[in-house]
Amino acid sequence: MPKNVQEIMHQLTKAIKSIQLYGINHPSAQQVYQPLFEALTGFLKNYGQIELDINQYSISSDSQVVYQEREKDVSIAFRLFRDGVRNIKIVEEMEFDEMMLFLEVISQTAREQDIALNLWECNFSHIDFYVIEEEDEDLSYELPVEETKDIDFQGKLAAIIAREKLDMTETIDPALSEAEMQSLKTQMAHESDEAGRSVAISTLINFLQHDKSPEIIDSLKEILAQCIDQHEFHNARLIATSLERYAKVNAIDRYEQENTILDFKNFINTIADEAYNQFLAFIALFTKKSLPYFIRLMPSIQRSERLERFRDQVAYIAQNDYHPVLGFLQSGSVDLIINTVAVLSRLSAEGVIGHLEGLAVHPRVEVRCSLINAYRAFGQPARIAGFLDDDEAVVRIKSLQSIALIVYPPVYYRLIARIKSRAFSALDMTEQKAIFTCLIANGGPGLIKILEKMLFRRMLFGRKRYRVVRRLAAWALEEINSDEARTVLEQGLKKRNADIRQACETRLKQ
Amino acid sequence: MSIYSTGKNMISLFYALAKAAQVYDIRNDVVIGAAKKFGHILRTLLNIYPQIELVRYREYVFFNKQRLRFEIDGYASLQFVHDKMKRLRLRSIIFLPGINEEELILLCLALTKKRDEFPSEFNARRLAYVTVEYADTEESAPDFLEDGQRVKRTYFKALKVTKNLMNNLWKNQAVDVKSSKRVVYGLVNALSQDEFGLLALTAIKNFDEYTYNHSLNVGILALAVGQRIGFGKKDLARIGTAGILHDIGKVSIPKDLIYKPTRLSEPEWEIIKRHSEYGVKQIIKTRGLDETGMISLIVAYQHHWNYNYSGYPRHDKNLLQSMFAKIVRICDSYDAMTTARVYQPLPYIPSIAIRVIWRLAGECFDPVLVKVFVQLLGIYPVGSCLEMNDGFIGLVLRQNEGHPAQPTIKILATKQKDVIDGPVIDLSVESDRRVVRAVYPQPYGINPAEHIV
Repeated sequence: MPKNVQEIMHQLTKAIKSIQLYGINHPSAQQVYQPLFEALTGFLKNYGQIELDINQYSISSDSQVVYQEREKDVSIAFRLFRDGVRNIKIVEEMEFDEMMLFLEVISQTAREQDIALNLWECNFSHIDFYVIEEEDEDLSYELPVEETKDIDFQGKLAAIIAREKLDMTETIDPALSEAEMQSLKTQMAHESDEAGRSVAISTLINFLQHDKSPEIIDSLKEILAQCIDQHEFHNARLIATSLERYAKVNAIDRYEQENTILDFKNFINTIADEAYNQFLAFIALFTKKSLPYFIRLMPSIQRSERLERFRDQVAYIAQNDYHPVLGFLQSGSVDLIINTVAVLSRLSAEGVIGHLEGLAVHPRVEVRCSLINAYRAFGQPARIAGFLDDDEAVVRIKSLQSIALIVYPPVYYRLIARIKSRAFSALDMTEQKAIFTCLIANGGPGLIKILEKMLFRRMLFGRKRYRVVRRLAAWALEEINSDEARTVLEQGLKKRNADIRQACETRLKQ
Repeated sequence: MSIYSTGKNMISLFYALAKAAQVYDIRNDVVIGAAKKFGHILRTLLNIYPQIELVRYREYVFFNKQRLRFEIDGYASLQFVHDKMKRLRLRSIIFLPGINEEELILLCLALTKKRDEFPSEFNARRLAYVTVEYADTEESAPDFLEDGQRVKRTYFKALKVTKNLMNNLWKNQAVDVKSSKRVVYGLVNALSQDEFGLLALTAIKNFDEYTYNHSLNVGILALAVGQRIGFGKKDLARIGTAGILHDIGKVSIPKDLIYKPTRLSEPEWEIIKRHSEYGVKQIIKTRGLDETGMISLIVAYQHHWNYNYSGYPRHDKNLLQSMFAKIVRICDSYDAMTTARVYQPLPYIPSIAIRVIWRLAGECFDPVLVKVFVQLLGIYPVGSCLEMNDGFIGLVLRQNEGHPAQPTIKILATKQKDVIDGPVIDLSVESDRRVVRAVYPQPYGINPAEHIV
């Protein structure tokens, strides 16, 4: 049996080392938990329990040493022994979470940590431990003697009863009703760590309004760090704004660091929506100094709606001075350029467009598309129209879609010419449709007539090729959906040309 | 499920069956259903344990040597089983492998009998898988119970550490935080072993060492309330610490003002009132801002806030009073009222303090927590002196769960002030004895501390 225990201790030591090196949630550390858990539960299944006696530098099971380490800083035995833990018993049915909690506690090396207390606070169901009591010194205590002074006790008692307006005949029934028990449970449920922290924060802020002593300020800063660590950004914001308002203290400054901000990636995708909202509100307190780090954080944000809102918030920070981000426009990373363009596109500051112009010839499609988005945000259709002849279909489509949205009538004849050109039929269906969509959005009063001509045009040659234009013209008429457009489609039903009839029929059925 | 939860669960099923057997015919589906559930859990447990033993000792019930605590959850069922065993003078009930529903129903029927009828009724049933043991005397403790002196040692050690902590703070010297943390750990353990023994020690009031005694007593009272309402270990450690440290701000006030023998002037009183705020700073300095530190800080700041938002330091209604502070508010007031101090040489007797707190429920104190507090301490808390209807004076030694006005007392004097060494009487059992009123112990030559420690 001790051999098995020795093996378990070996795995336990490995797990503890990994936690100390990488932290409990690091993937490298996580690899060792499952084998340890399996070894432990396997052993417990066979033997019911595992009992470890703790000595100063060693741990024994069944009187045989299963772990030994004399190096105080490393020795698990020493740390446990130092804090008075003399025996640990793990019994069957120990759960994985319990094991993790146990590992977390015994991995702590800081001197101020009291392992015995921390183990005790865990309130394990399947791990028991024995801690020696410090054998004390003299605890003798002299009992107080009740003085029998010359007092009229009866009179004094009567005076107290009268002063306190007590009705001594009142029946006291302390039994709790169902509703009272429920209210108690509700109150207890609200006393979470977070709620406790919130009350502590309100208390200290209340205090801060009339006492700006360093203790209070430092405490609030310390709680601010805890809040960030626990992702309680509402409280974090409350503290930071209060410190600024009441004590003129900038508590955010220390978090405007590259590592701190880039570490936000660890939770930015996983925190709940509400917490994310609070996080965004919190980062609004950061200054332009943080802008480059925020831009670098953006590629880590996986959910597009979160990314969009993050960009909004970064743009808010950049509104007075966007220069710290301009360098990224020259970056070799497409992601960084796109995010920078997206942030800049949210600013109304004059001069931003000038910084973006160079990107119109950027070799990467994604960058040119992001630029189109920016131009759309700035209301610059003429610049977008410049991309209608781009080499890449994706960019052309993007520009067509954008012009369809913000409307730029000068492109109208250009679009008609494009439809009429021979090259039209070679275009991808998405682009063809985008051209028609853009045409509808930018079309003048004569548009229906033009569409009618396209729909009813006689074709002797290339009928098949022209069928696409006919169908798109019919589709465009349906989209316009005016009486005049419908009349055209209805007329089409009477045409001899089967293509025309079919195109009109399909649209009228929709 | 832990042995503790299993025990609590079993007790609630026992209670359900006993109640059903009292109300319905034994062939009724309700009784049969309850017996099936109780039988099922017993058989499941008997697969793990060789037998299931319920032992009663004083106010405690043990399930296979594990003490089951009185908590608001499951209070009625534990109180019922405890009361039944006490009234029938049962030391233990033991369930053996082979137990069936029929025997359980018959046991419950026997339990409905009076004390003198029970033994013959039980024997007549000839139950094969249930046995009972009768208690010889009320005081005979089961052999597995831990050394009773341990609770006292824990208390006095805690007192010493509290004293050192406050003295060091007063002298601006470094404090031993680890020891003060461990003290709370010891108190929580002691509380789970012998809550009534520990609570009884809070009745010791030392005029000379008021500040330390008071701090510790408030810590223990708060712990007991926390345990009663079902706090886990973490929260117990928090409330215990917060209770002990609630007045820590007083070390920032000149000692001569704290111990001023004459009435305080208005400005002096204003200075004393600032101890709540000073407490915040002291806790930050000595305890740090971990979760326990934060709760302690809140309690130090809020422990003079009233339920109706009055009290000091002044605060706006949007600021929530923490439940921990509400508990300490009650415990602090109770202990302060019942302790002699320079400006209050004759303290309130405990039952008067209980009535004051009861009257101020909803005004100064959270009314639900007041009920829990009174349920815990009783209407005549340990250390109270009571004049009985038969002319004797008795000292309350312990509470009887579910009978807040009928504690267990020891007769120590006559109304004519003759000191005697009388019997210990359980007023919840002896129905012919009644409390006439609570009295001060001094005129009868009674020193409660002598009988408590």
